[in-house]
Amino acid sequence: MELKTFRGGIHPPYQKEATAHRATEDISLPSEVVIPMQQHVGAPNNPVVNVGDRVEAGQKIGSSEAFISAPVHASVSGTVRAVEGRPNFTGAMVQSVVIEVDPSQPAKWGDKKDVGNLGAEQLREIAKESGLVGLGGAAFPTFVKLSPPADKPIDTVIINGCECEPFLTCDHRLMLERAEDLISGLKLMMLAVGAGRGIIGVETNKMDAADVLTAKLGGDSSIGVVPLEVKYPEGAEKMLIDAVTGRRVPPGKLPSEVGVLVQNVQTAVALYDAASTGKPVIERVITVTGLGIKEPKNVLVKVGTPIGHVIDQCSGFAGTPGKVIMGGPMTGWAQKDLSAAVVKGTSGILVLTEDEVEYGAERQCVGCDKCINVCPVFLMPNFIVKHTKRGQYDKANVYGAQDCFECGCCAYVCPSRISHVAYVRKAKAEIAAAEKK
Amino acid sequence: MANQDFIVTAPPHIKGKDMVSTGMRDVAVALVPLVAVSLGFFRLYALVNLVACVATAITCEYVMRKLMRKEPTIGDFSAVVTGLLLALILPPTVPFWWAMIGTIIAVAIVKELMGGLGVNLFNPALFGFVSLIILSQLFGPIKETISLGSINGVTSATPLTFIKGGALNGLRPGYWSLFLGHAGGALGEASVLAVLVGAAYLMYKGHITWHIPTSIIGTVFVLSAILGENPLYMILAGGVMIGSFFMATDWVTSPDSRLAQVIYGVIIGVLIVVIRLYAAPTGAVAYSILIGNALTPLLNRLFVRKKFGEVKAVA
Repeated sequence: MELKTFRGGIHPPYQKEATAHRATEDISLPSEVVIPMQQHVGAPNNPVVNVGDRVEAGQKIGSSEAFISAPVHASVSGTVRAVEGRPNFTGAMVQSVVIEVDPSQPAKWGDKKDVGNLGAEQLREIAKESGLVGLGGAAFPTFVKLSPPADKPIDTVIINGCECEPFLTCDHRLMLERAEDLISGLKLMMLAVGAGRGIIGVETNKMDAADVLTAKLGGDSSIGVVPLEVKYPEGAEKMLIDAVTGRRVPPGKLPSEVGVLVQNVQTAVALYDAASTGKPVIERVITVTGLGIKEPKNVLVKVGTPIGHVIDQCSGFAGTPGKVIMGGPMTGWAQKDLSAAVVKGTSGILVLTEDEVEYGAERQCVGCDKCINVCPVFLMPNFIVKHTKRGQYDKANVYGAQDCFECGCCAYVCPSRISHVAYVRKAKAEIAAAEKK
Repeated sequence: MANQDFIVTAPPHIKGKDMVSTGMRDVAVALVPLVAVSLGFFRLYALVNLVACVATAITCEYVMRKLMRKEPTIGDFSAVVTGLLLALILPPTVPFWWAMIGTIIAVAIVKELMGGLGVNLFNPALFGFVSLIILSQLFGPIKETISLGSINGVTSATPLTFIKGGALNGLRPGYWSLFLGHAGGALGEASVLAVLVGAAYLMYKGHITWHIPTSIIGTVFVLSAILGENPLYMILAGGVMIGSFFMATDWVTSPDSRLAQVIYGVIIGVLIVVIRLYAAPTGAVAYSILIGNALTPLLNRLFVRKKFGEVKAVA
């Protein structure tokens, strides 16, 4: 049988062997954590603590009145040392709460409660209060996605277990180590949106996880595990929906348009944790890997942990690092130094060596059409670049600048080494600025 | 840990193996079967022109970029490809210095003066070839040499002469000899099989797709049949094969969306048949593809790819 997938995409080297079989480890606490007030898509939080305050792990330290937002919590117990702007992983200055860690007060949660009696409204409240956002990287507030408009009923919830980004294995480990909790989280999501069907989409390079999940499901006919072709970006929301259901979300529309909700593995597990123990999103599993890391691992990290500390916990750099990337190699953010902190949406820390980041200089486009052929949303990236270079942003948009979700396939295959994603971002920013006027 | 600075660029942070140079090198490799067949049939005639064109192309590109104070681009193999292609579409009887003039026109004017690889509107090799045809019309004595004359024992008349010359029909080569190997016409027209082997390699490498060649060849076949010509002979003889697979698929000068590529192929196919039957058989493929090149920017504007999930607006 031919595996389900989408059209376009690429097959980069996956490089997951270093960490795929390593069980998740706890790492030591850093001496201080830096918790940005904005770690999500939407309105930033206002800090609700002051310098000198004593905070407990799990205590809310930032909140907002805006609808599309997600509160943040202290990930450790300790003392607030500063409330100030700090550069986050994108390099932007974001107001952050800096907490000096008190290691004598570990975080404590109640025993697991039965979640069977929770209703849809309660689940949305739990998702909101726990500060849950899409933990795959998009960081969109989960309770908003769990509140679909009444005229767009959701019939299917898909758990994204593709982990199509090369190098990353944290979702793979979670599927293996917390299969039952993942299934429970999926059931809660189905309940919250009133969907009768649940699907866990898993790429076939993680069949061990698919097998564990299938075994745990037993005879539950409302949930299925669907094996998918190993291809990037299989886990992109629109691609995954197309692969699994054959439905295509129109440009500029949300998955609810076709009756689907997509959530990441870790988000589902975190929803179950919040519902069963009251634990907010204060920690997550990330993959620390790459040839530039001495001891690649999957680690459970407190939100706000500086990446330098995480790398130290993996025995530091191997050789001279060329790039330190927050996230995966296809969509992650290159760091200029080690000061940024792990946030809710961080899926990994990837260190590439100097030799690996020699790409060759950008040259004139030669019209090979490779970017067009791999684009999973059928855009014409070479024309977006051409018109963006000329400052013709409306024309760039004709070829799909605003429909691009920046998967990077075009730039990956480009023989002229053009950085399409950088041009797309410029075009998007210019179009947004023009609309404001 | 030292607070050192790392490289910061936009994602993706890993890149595929293809470069312009590897793509062009693959084209050169794909031409090996054709080069081998032409050397087998035409021996020294082929060798001299191939060497003259490639050497001239490389030298010319180097000098032009030096004069224009630009970075050298010899390493991208595009000059080698232009040289090879031009030599392959010339008949073996063309004197080497004449082939070199065509190469200079192709590389210096059509490629470098237009802004270099990627900005050129026309396929350099084809433009060089057509320039030679036109020049030969202007300078009488040369006309004899560059036309379709044969050298005893080495070449027979180009198969294209038989398309219009009904009286000679009994002498024309059979399909199998056109397909496998036949010493008539240009170097690159010697064997359809060699073209197909090279084209298969380029498709396997992902550098070209079937859209353009299939629509050209299909159109030539169907239209010839409709007009009462022998359709098989029309696609096997002359430059239809090398033109469709190696010239019309040129990255730079062909349109980019699938639909535009198919329309481009159909236009070229129609032009080939019309020019061959009602104007001149020699150069028909070259003229047609160059006209297609000229239409490429328009086709790119008219046929924007339909986006993922986009439904046709109901009128």
